[in-house]
Amino acid sequence: MKRRVFLKAVAGLSGLLFLPCPAKAGKFFSSPLARNRLRPPGAVSEEIFAGKCIRCGRCVEVCPYKSIIPLDIRSGVYAGTPLVLAEKVPCYLCMKCVKVCPTGTLQKIGQEETRMGLAVINRHLCYNWQEMTLCRTCYDVCPFKEKAISLHELKPLIHDDYCTGCGICTHACPVTADDGQKAVNIESLYANETVRW
Amino acid sequence: MAQSRREFLKRTAALSAASYIGMNLPYRKQNAALAADADSWHRGSCRLCGTGCRVELGVKNGKAVALRGVKDARTNFGYLCMKGMHFWKCMGHPDRLRTPLYRESKKDKFREISWEKALDIAAEKFADSVKKYGNDSVAYYGSGQALTEETYLFQKVFRGGLQTNNVEGNPRLCMASAVGGYLTSFGADEPIGGYADIEKAHCFFIIGSNTAEAHPVLFRRIMRRKLDNKDVKIINADPRISQTSRIADLHLQFDPGTDLALLNAMANVIIEEKLYDEKFLESYVTCKKGKKETVSFEEFKKFVADYTPEKAAAICRGNMTPDKIRQTARWFAGSKGTLSLWTMGINQRKRGVWANNLIHNLHILTGQLLTPGADSLSLTGQPNACGGVREGGGLCHILPGHRLVAKEKLRNQVEDAWGIPHGRIPPKPGYHTMALFSAVNEGKIKALWVNCTSPMQSLPNVDLYSKGMRREDVFMICSDIFPTLTTEAANLVLPAAFHFEKTGVYGCTERRSQLTLKAVNAPDGAMPEVWIVREWAKKLAEKMDDPVISKCVEPFEGLEPDFALPKAIWDEYSQKLTSGRDNDLRGATYTVLQKMPDGVQWPAPTEAYALTGGTVKKFVRGMDPLADTHAKDDKPYQFYGHAHDDGKLWLWLREQADPEEIPDKDYPFYLSTGRIVDHWHTMSMTGRIPELLRANPYAFVEVNPRDAAKLGIKPGDMVEVESRRGKNFLPAKVYEGPTEGMVFVYWHDQHPDRLINMVTKDGYDPGSKEPEFKICACRVKRISGPKPLKPYIV
Repeated sequence: MKRRVFLKAVAGLSGLLFLPCPAKAGKFFSSPLARNRLRPPGAVSEEIFAGKCIRCGRCVEVCPYKSIIPLDIRSGVYAGTPLVLAEKVPCYLCMKCVKVCPTGTLQKIGQEETRMGLAVINRHLCYNWQEMTLCRTCYDVCPFKEKAISLHELKPLIHDDYCTGCGICTHACPVTADDGQKAVNIESLYANETVRW
Repeated sequence: MAQSRREFLKRTAALSAASYIGMNLPYRKQNAALAADADSWHRGSCRLCGTGCRVELGVKNGKAVALRGVKDARTNFGYLCMKGMHFWKCMGHPDRLRTPLYRESKKDKFREISWEKALDIAAEKFADSVKKYGNDSVAYYGSGQALTEETYLFQKVFRGGLQTNNVEGNPRLCMASAVGGYLTSFGADEPIGGYADIEKAHCFFIIGSNTAEAHPVLFRRIMRRKLDNKDVKIINADPRISQTSRIADLHLQFDPGTDLALLNAMANVIIEEKLYDEKFLESYVTCKKGKKETVSFEEFKKFVADYTPEKAAAICRGNMTPDKIRQTARWFAGSKGTLSLWTMGINQRKRGVWANNLIHNLHILTGQLLTPGADSLSLTGQPNACGGVREGGGLCHILPGHRLVAKEKLRNQVEDAWGIPHGRIPPKPGYHTMALFSAVNEGKIKALWVNCTSPMQSLPNVDLYSKGMRREDVFMICSDIFPTLTTEAANLVLPAAFHFEKTGVYGCTERRSQLTLKAVNAPDGAMPEVWIVREWAKKLAEKMDDPVISKCVEPFEGLEPDFALPKAIWDEYSQKLTSGRDNDLRGATYTVLQKMPDGVQWPAPTEAYALTGGTVKKFVRGMDPLADTHAKDDKPYQFYGHAHDDGKLWLWLREQADPEEIPDKDYPFYLSTGRIVDHWHTMSMTGRIPELLRANPYAFVEVNPRDAAKLGIKPGDMVEVESRRGKNFLPAKVYEGPTEGMVFVYWHDQHPDRLINMVTKDGYDPGSKEPEFKICACRVKRISGPKPLKPYIV
């Protein structure tokens, strides 16, 4: 092969490889956390999560409800890290995962201190806030009833002092809008705190 | 949680951003998306609980697409609960039964057969059984969810045609004690007032009812009343802190089964502190010790003097103190209108009738009755337990129009109305529910028709009774819309049309009858029950060679089953059989019911009167047309009920009585069961609606935190609940709900591991024959940590 041809081929190939670069690389390095996509209880800040987690899969294994799933290769550098899909199987706060984590990526905290995220009610979708129907489902299923969710004239209110972000309310919410949205969702607000070294 | 200013601002910003996500969508468009665009809206009443909410079914291209409340209905004012909003999803469900299924032996598999053949088999089996084993070897077990027309026609064919009074229904499991209570205290069945009293009441006495869970729309009305008037007092008496207790000013917690002492102690305080209404007592009240034994008011005073608040508090335990009892009695007697509400906590009891009597006693003593806001109101569990079964003759001892089977004159009235010879209806009442299923166990019943209910799940101590239904020599027909645990034990399964797929009337708690017209077609192959009975009766007449059976269905011959047939049945029932009775429905014709947004409250003797909405308060002259026509004197209240010859209210002397089974060394816990807001009875409908199933996929047991600590039970642990009859394995919810020493289980789950009626007790009230679901003794044991469970629907 001539040097010229070789160089051409290399240039072409690498060009091809990097063509969809911005999109791919974005996904490759961006955190999988989003609405209703949460880390298990006690997780350290997302900034250092992927670095600290050794992908041992023990939390996935120990979860009796199969709430925690390991991310696969499509998640790039986050592959192998644990995630809870709140609307599919929420976290029931049995706190088994925090006990088995060998690295402290999931810190040993109690049920009440868990902050996987914060439940946020979309008042435009919620049957009660729209005064369509008397629904109390999120309140009924909440493990910290009266504290984390209270009913004000039958309308649910979330209190961030107590909401653990377990997602049980999201899972149970009977609202399914045309785009599959729920009226109560867990926003992973706390995961983005910056780490003070 | 401590947070810095910076953190707080950050979080606030993020939160507001998150909560306004829907904001950029135009308002109207989003509302429209929720309200579903239907071609037409069809009025009817809700299929589920006894509240009687008025709903509109949205139909698009001949298919149901949505449900919404009717704003000008006096029951729900447009509000619905989650069950009510979603039940339309049953209609097009793939699990719906679509063809008759038959098997010769219960060991075989079902095979599909034609309607012609199915009805032939049904008729032949019933005819054979009658010929070989006598008239009382066949039975009908119906439901408080069947339409009035259906119950009426079934019982007509069974009583007039097959000459048996073995006509029962599941209201025996829920309403019978309330019937007994109303008859013995007021002389006439069903409440004097209704929901309209909620907006006028100043004190609510809610005992043995978790209104928030079982009647959520009524709970909203009660809550609204309290929010609008801060002086309104709500007293909740329940061994369990429930969702209803949340709005209570006073919560009385006591050991299950001790509430008779509480109610007597309240009467004691009322008399002790002279809070009773002397004038009312003098004019309208007789004191009774037994049906034939009248006593003086002095003797009643002496009787309740024994129930001092101190003594009652010692019996009741829980959080009860003598002062709380006194406070309750004062609020009850002193308010400008006291409304008592109760459901199964009072009715499903060994002494359910007595408990009912004692609540009525308080109203009679204080005169908290017949005036605006004052009433003694038993809430019904099922949508048509009052209308269809109590009024329509759906129980073994009653005929349509609140007539007793035992009275010859009343039997003859019915026979005349039906145009059949006198003596066709046997004089002896049939088997009541528990006796019926015992008879099935003993093989005395050879052919049983179960309609629209699932006794394989809903009977107490169900293991015992399901053995009978599984017997090879018991031919069981089951007409239903979905497979249930009961269809699994049947020989012949008949697919029925659902609500809104047929026409008929439901009668709710407050004597209100509401019409639901057919709005969509039933799935191919499913038929309305009225058609099924008519066709079956015709074949039966042939096989039995009995012209009287054909006479029973003759007036309905040839009518199309969607409107004309139910209308003809309703006309016969309301015009011929309620005339001259207290539930006079002559004015509530289909024409009137179609015009009314929310139906008619009986008595309603004429159409013109029915168009005003009917009678809001019974027995009050000027408000109740029958009080005027039946008036014996010029007093403002006329108690014309047929059960009391003296035309008075009866004040009963009833002792505290223990439940049939109390906890002991081996079984140290009380077990109680109940309904959850998202599910209806045996879950055959609501379990198939994903939105509702998701909220409560399976039953669980509620354990008091102090008991849980003693037993080492943590939230979510699997727990064994065992009684002398059976056991369940359920996940635990540790929750400050049930009183210490009591556990509570929801009864909707169909899975054999979580079917709590295998544990409950089948003892029953000797008066009303209603079983004591609510109280039995059990033991509780932790078996393992949390386990993922799968919902189970047959």
